[in-house]
Amino acid sequence: MRASRVPPPAFDVVGDLNVRIEDVVDREDLFEMCRSAQALFGLGVRVYSSEGALLANEGRELSMCGLVNETAAGRAACGATVNRAKSVDPLSSAEVSDGYLARGRALGADHVVHACFTGLAYRIVPLVYETRHVGRIVLGPYAPADMKEAPALLVRTLPTLDRQEANARLLGLPRFEPSALAQIAQHLKTALEVIIFSSHKAYLTSKMHLYSVRESYRTLEEKNERLEEALARLKELDRLKSNFLGTVSHELRTPLTSIIGYSEMLADGIAGPLATEQAEFVDTIHRKGEQLLALIVGLLDLSKLESGTMSLRYAPMQIGPTLKEVVSTLAPGALKKGVEVELALDRTFCELAGDAERLRQVFVNLVDNAVKFTPKGGKVTVTATVRTIEPGALSEVRGTSDVDDIGIVLLAAPHLDQKAVEVTITDTGIGIPPADRAKVFDAFYQVDSSATREHGGTGLGLSIVRRIVEAHHGVVSVQANEPQGTIFVVTLPSAHARRVMPSRVPPAVRP
Amino acid sequence: MQLNFAAREVAIKLVYYGPALSGKTTNLKALHARVAEESRGRLMTLDTKDDRTLFFDVLPLVFRADVDGATIRVRVKVFTVPGQVVHSSTRRLVLQGADGIVFVADSQVSETENNAASFLDLRANFKDMGRSLAQVPLVIQFNKRDLVKIRRDAEIDDLARRGTDPVYKASATRGEGVIECFFGLLERAWRSLDKEHDLASTLGLPSDLFLERAAASLGYDETARALSAASVRCCGS
Repeated sequence: MRASRVPPPAFDVVGDLNVRIEDVVDREDLFEMCRSAQALFGLGVRVYSSEGALLANEGRELSMCGLVNETAAGRAACGATVNRAKSVDPLSSAEVSDGYLARGRALGADHVVHACFTGLAYRIVPLVYETRHVGRIVLGPYAPADMKEAPALLVRTLPTLDRQEANARLLGLPRFEPSALAQIAQHLKTALEVIIFSSHKAYLTSKMHLYSVRESYRTLEEKNERLEEALARLKELDRLKSNFLGTVSHELRTPLTSIIGYSEMLADGIAGPLATEQAEFVDTIHRKGEQLLALIVGLLDLSKLESGTMSLRYAPMQIGPTLKEVVSTLAPGALKKGVEVELALDRTFCELAGDAERLRQVFVNLVDNAVKFTPKGGKVTVTATVRTIEPGALSEVRGTSDVDDIGIVLLAAPHLDQKAVEVTITDTGIGIPPADRAKVFDAFYQVDSSATREHGGTGLGLSIVRRIVEAHHGVVSVQANEPQGTIFVVTLPSAHARRVMPSRVPPAVRP
Repeated sequence: MQLNFAAREVAIKLVYYGPALSGKTTNLKALHARVAEESRGRLMTLDTKDDRTLFFDVLPLVFRADVDGATIRVRVKVFTVPGQVVHSSTRRLVLQGADGIVFVADSQVSETENNAASFLDLRANFKDMGRSLAQVPLVIQFNKRDLVKIRRDAEIDDLARRGTDPVYKASATRGEGVIECFFGLLERAWRSLDKEHDLASTLGLPSDLFLERAAASLGYDETARALSAASVRCCGS
């Protein structure tokens, strides 16, 4: 089933949203900043969000505040003042009305001085990000430089307060000049706005990172989907091709059998004696018919191997008898051509689990090829030796190993005495150029198409060889025989090695 | 566009698009340096060590227009996209919701192909998002007019007259043509949004008035119309 495609994000990832201080600045860090400002300037610092929530608060109680807070009325009045200070909008240029306990004065848009009934004051500075009001800094309470004595409002608010004591405490406080306060406020405002900017930048960066990765993933998914569709289509075409080949081969074989049979009967004189020339013609018909049959059988084998319908019958076997049979079959023909075929079996006792008939086909093909491409006076040598193989060696040659160095100790197959039989077919023929060596195993590939005319063949043999060898978990490769000729090497794992070998054979050729 | 009726606030998104190294960030820097301080926010650049834009740059501009006693706040966010081919997905993200595009082309003859490739990329990205480039206000800027080996004036003028989009010539490093191009797009973007959302009657801010107020806030009182009109086609240079 086709996975539904994910559309690109339909919203603006970098949309114009309100930035909240509490979202971009760490609360503890904000406290630390206020604490260090308090230590440096001796001034209480509070930071509020745009909704009025207190985000950080650092300040020591002034002696005057201590006096006021001794009475319940004083505490109430103080609380009311702080609440008013919290709600003053420093961006609004409207005059703050004289209230019951507080009076304020708007001084333009950049800050507000909010007076306390004690004669002390707060300075309120707006925090602005992208020209939006995101919060405020409240400095104070502090004693203004021009304060002379406790104001009348204090007496009105707390009539029982000791006025002399209040005056003494007020006048004992350090004074702050408006210009110094403006500098302190500006410094804190700038620092905090820079922090908000930087934090928001980091936030946007990570958000973009995340969404970019998601977007890249989405496009890759789309591409994968298209590739998968294409692959499925190709696989289907490949299957159709194999089916077609199989059917056609079968249909061709039936009439061909009759042609061969009747020409054989004619040659045997069943329908009466033939003149010499007639016998020659009939013999040619018979030979060409056999050639055509071999080609069709090859095609059928290949399509069966490709479609996975060829069943291989594995049984315990030795390679020696198979090779002997192959050589004894082909040696007489080769001798006629003036090519010597030699068999060298060197302690080849090693049990294989193989289909003896199919392996015979493999070596007939390879030896026949070697003879075909070796000129008169040349030599074809078939040798077989047993050797110990590294775990995974055969699969690596096939290029399907997924075991890399990391964790190899855990992933590798047990390193037991694994054996394989290595059969080499060496000729002194025309050789194969290095660039073509990998391709000779492809179906219908011929190094030189003119060779087909000279040497015959369909280009199917080696492709069938490779498929059968791989179905036996083996490997076939080709190398040069210096100074002249070619060496084909077939390595077949022992029956024991095959049992411990992870199956990496493509399902199509799995027996 | 984001419209907040309650707060009488409009947010517009303009995007500077174009091939790598055509001067999009330089445009934004020049713009930042040439608008009134009280109307601009900090210029944010999200770049790599070697000053190549990684995700985007953004310059927020804000101005107030008092219409019939009510204040309308217009927030214009000007973005650039990363020009390098590899950042295709990031470009799509930044383009999402764009109300107008400045295509910053490199005037150098050698960059002709890159300009074209980037423009096709822009078109493909819009298509991918289900939008058509034809529906988005677009102005084209031929940047780097101060360099040698560039496309000739006559050639650009001729092409501009044949095309439908206004073309501005600029040298962003010198700050020339940057403001003209920006106002050119701002005006077209508002006109297009007005057509779509009827901003003239809902906010009482027709495009002429909008441009006038925007220009005044940004420090270009009474010159905005002339600046916006300074494209190749209009002045016929």
